[in-house]
Amino acid sequence: MTTREIDNELELLQGTLDLLILQTLAFGHAHGHAIARSIERRSEEVLQVGHGSLYPALQRLLKQGLIVAEDGISENNRKARFYRLTAKGRKKLFAETSKWQRFSDAVARILAPLAEESK
Amino acid sequence: MIWWKRRGGRLEKEIQTHIDFETQENIEAGMSTEAARQAAMRKFGNVPLAVDKSREVWGWLWPERLWQDVRYALRGLKKSPGFTVVALLSLMLGIGTSISLFSVVYGVLIAPYPYSRPNEIWAPAVLGANDSARFWHPYPLREFVEIQKLSSFAEVMATSPRPVLLTGGTNPESVNGVYLTGGAFNFIGVKPVIGRTIQPFDIHAGGEPDAVVVLTYSFWQRVFNSDVHALGKKIVVNDVPYTVIGVMPPRFGWWTNDSFWLPLPMHMADDTFVHVIMRLRPGITKQVAEQQLNELNIRLAAQYPREFPKGHLRTVLLNYMDITQASGQMSASLHLLLVAVGLLLLIACVNVANLQLARTTARAREIAMRLAIGAGRARLVRLLLTESVILSVLGGALGVMFAVASTRIVVALIPPDYVPNEARITINEYVLLFSLAVSMLTGILFGLAPALRSSRPDLVETLKDGGGGATGSARAQTLRNWLVIAEISLSVFLLAGASLAIRSFVQVLRTDPGFQPERVLRMDLTLPPKQYTSLEQRNMFDRNLLQSVMSLPGVESAALGNGGMPYSNWRSSYSFEGQPSSDDRKIIVSLISSQYPQTLGIPLKRGREFTEAELENGMHVALINESAARLWPSGEDPTGRHMQIDALIGPTPESVFKAAGITPDVTIVGVVGDIKNAGLGDATVPAIYLPYTMFGPPDRQLAVRTFGDPMTALNGVREKVRELDKDLALGRPVTLDEVLGDETQQPRFTMALLTGFAALGLSLAAIGIYSVISYNVSQRVHEIGVRMALGAKRGDILKLVLLMVAKVAALGLVIGLSGSIALERIVRFQVFAKASFDATSLAMVVIVLAGTAMLAAWLPASRAGNLDPVAALRHEA
Repeated sequence: MTTREIDNELELLQGTLDLLILQTLAFGHAHGHAIARSIERRSEEVLQVGHGSLYPALQRLLKQGLIVAEDGISENNRKARFYRLTAKGRKKLFAETSKWQRFSDAVARILAPLAEESK
Repeated sequence: MIWWKRRGGRLEKEIQTHIDFETQENIEAGMSTEAARQAAMRKFGNVPLAVDKSREVWGWLWPERLWQDVRYALRGLKKSPGFTVVALLSLMLGIGTSISLFSVVYGVLIAPYPYSRPNEIWAPAVLGANDSARFWHPYPLREFVEIQKLSSFAEVMATSPRPVLLTGGTNPESVNGVYLTGGAFNFIGVKPVIGRTIQPFDIHAGGEPDAVVVLTYSFWQRVFNSDVHALGKKIVVNDVPYTVIGVMPPRFGWWTNDSFWLPLPMHMADDTFVHVIMRLRPGITKQVAEQQLNELNIRLAAQYPREFPKGHLRTVLLNYMDITQASGQMSASLHLLLVAVGLLLLIACVNVANLQLARTTARAREIAMRLAIGAGRARLVRLLLTESVILSVLGGALGVMFAVASTRIVVALIPPDYVPNEARITINEYVLLFSLAVSMLTGILFGLAPALRSSRPDLVETLKDGGGGATGSARAQTLRNWLVIAEISLSVFLLAGASLAIRSFVQVLRTDPGFQPERVLRMDLTLPPKQYTSLEQRNMFDRNLLQSVMSLPGVESAALGNGGMPYSNWRSSYSFEGQPSSDDRKIIVSLISSQYPQTLGIPLKRGREFTEAELENGMHVALINESAARLWPSGEDPTGRHMQIDALIGPTPESVFKAAGITPDVTIVGVVGDIKNAGLGDATVPAIYLPYTMFGPPDRQLAVRTFGDPMTALNGVREKVRELDKDLALGRPVTLDEVLGDETQQPRFTMALLTGFAALGLSLAAIGIYSVISYNVSQRVHEIGVRMALGAKRGDILKLVLLMVAKVAALGLVIGLSGSIALERIVRFQVFAKASFDATSLAMVVIVLAGTAMLAAWLPASRAGNLDPVAALRHEA
């Protein structure tokens, strides 16, 4: 991996992956690969999800009862595991999102003058 | 376990699907199939890691990881069979022998008795002004009653063993009946197998006991065939029928192993002496009790001065655990053996440590590789640790099996007279726990140290180095050499100990007993006091018996005696040449018939033997041994002189008769040769022999010297005894050779075990030296190749390797020998009273060890010498 790539693709902060997965599933059920692609696309390929780290995160959410898994058929007619938000997961997503919003606003306000200067 | 495996399978499938989707996308983006798949895999990363991490979320990974480690460790051990076998063998021998010896020590020294609170039982010893030895003081019954009244003691009981006549069976038998006070069984606190024990109410207020008897387990088996209905049946003891009221368990052996216990008649007028034991009242200290008992002793001594030592009295309470059969010699030699087995275990541990060290060093490259490809340090340490724990647990299991076998051997070798009746030697749970602790500790200790060290290596260096090289492990090399030195010096200790044991055993074998034991049969006879009620009656029986036995064909000579055959325990204070008697000087007193010197083969040195008339009339004449003759200044002839033997007029039990008008004064008529009358290992004690007609105890011994095998005379003697008295019991016949043989049991036991341990230690050390040297050679193959390429000959290489061993062995020998010589001074007084190191035995130790070391080094050395230089140079270890 070259230096340039590292600059452009942001490593995910610990714990944020869980939130991103929940957010992705808010639009409906999806399988693992679709979740990974969706996160990448919606962050305009800036956020790089290590596909390997997706699965421990999914298991973690399953265990906490925030999502459930079921077998289904994918868009290209293959059997796959689909994940869906539970009511508890939806509540959690809402709470976490507003918390994240407040946090990132705060950080942005502190960093804003610097960001302006460097432009 | 199945559900989480299924979960694992599903996850892997899901991840597979994920990679497939990614591949599909890549293909659609225009990649080739192969490139698409590879890109997808790269993007996903480490699949097993993802599976592991996902599963870890559910927290069910550790049993699987452990199982993985165990499987891996077993595979690793299987791959290096040499290492595994040697390590397991070392552990097996080290752990096995320690378990079995610890079992013996536990059974014989730590917990020999099944009695309740055995360490709180005390026995009184009374010391005179100059006494230092502490013996269990016997009290007459009337004094026992006084002791019972003392406030310091919660419980007091007394034991009095006596030979009794058992009739009613096929042959009359003389056995040891043990008489006990009413509270004795409650004091000891052991429950009977069936029936009940003797209780206080079995002895009436007047002192007359009920005719009841409690049997030992083996008597019950032998006489009643273990029949439960034996209760209520009768056995005839001294012509009185006794009712069986109970049977004790097999391990219970208070003063007897094979007879029975009877209630003690409390007749104060009897001169019965009893052995007293007591328990302190709670809150009373030993000192207070000793003082109170001492006051009583002083009072009693004023009344009965003969029953106490002279001068200022001191009373000491001896713990019963300290006065068992296993105290003295046996205890000393068991402690010595325990040290030996400890050394053996140490050698075994050093071996294992050495092997582990060599192995982990050899595996440094493998470990570095594992770390380089991302193995966690903790995980790696756990893996190595698992391996060594598995090794030590396996070794421990083998050790337990070996212990079971070797305990049998030790028990078979153990001399029965030197351990208490009650001792049972089995591998018990304490011992098993001990072994488990030892084996686990060995594993963890010697697994952890190298594991920690090797998990922190300089990765780059190790990988570059090719894992070998003479330079890589100089420090480890030094450590290994020191371990070998330790092993050799420990083996020297063992060998030196064994050589001492062998020497002292040979010395006992070579000791001249002073008499000729060949072809002499000896048997005990007890004249029932109720039938033989006068001295004349007893003397008449003895005369008739001697006459008829001597008329038997095959009999060379025969003699009767009390004591002197060859040991005696009757000792008396004495005086002569007008000097006062003293308690410090004792002389052994024996009663003998004519032909005593001929029958035992003791030479007459001076003077003459007893005449028939002197014997017939019980005249006050005496023979003394040479040790007694030396009581007179040298050059003086003791024959014709007089001696006063205090015991002749001292108090005696009612069953012993004395000649009317007996005085302590005897005239010495002759001097006979010294015999080892106090045991083969000890110096001869002054002894005096008196005509048996002077003094009539109920017990006597008959010795018969035959022309041929002494056992052939046995039936004739039995016949003659029956002709004289058909109810008379004859004790177990023994030959004097057997009697002497018993004396060698203890040194034989010590010698056999010490030699065995030394041999094991030596072979373990040899294995250790061998494995270290071969390891060294394998590490130096490249260097040896260079040397050969530069022109070194096979001999030079041999010399190089052997010199390496010689240095280490010499250092080990020096340390071991100087340590042994220092230790000898301590050990010598305890176990081997007479033997000491000499140049020959030390030289033998050096030769055996140096030889073993060279032998162990020879194989790897010659392997090094035969190396092909070209192959060796290519070798990358």
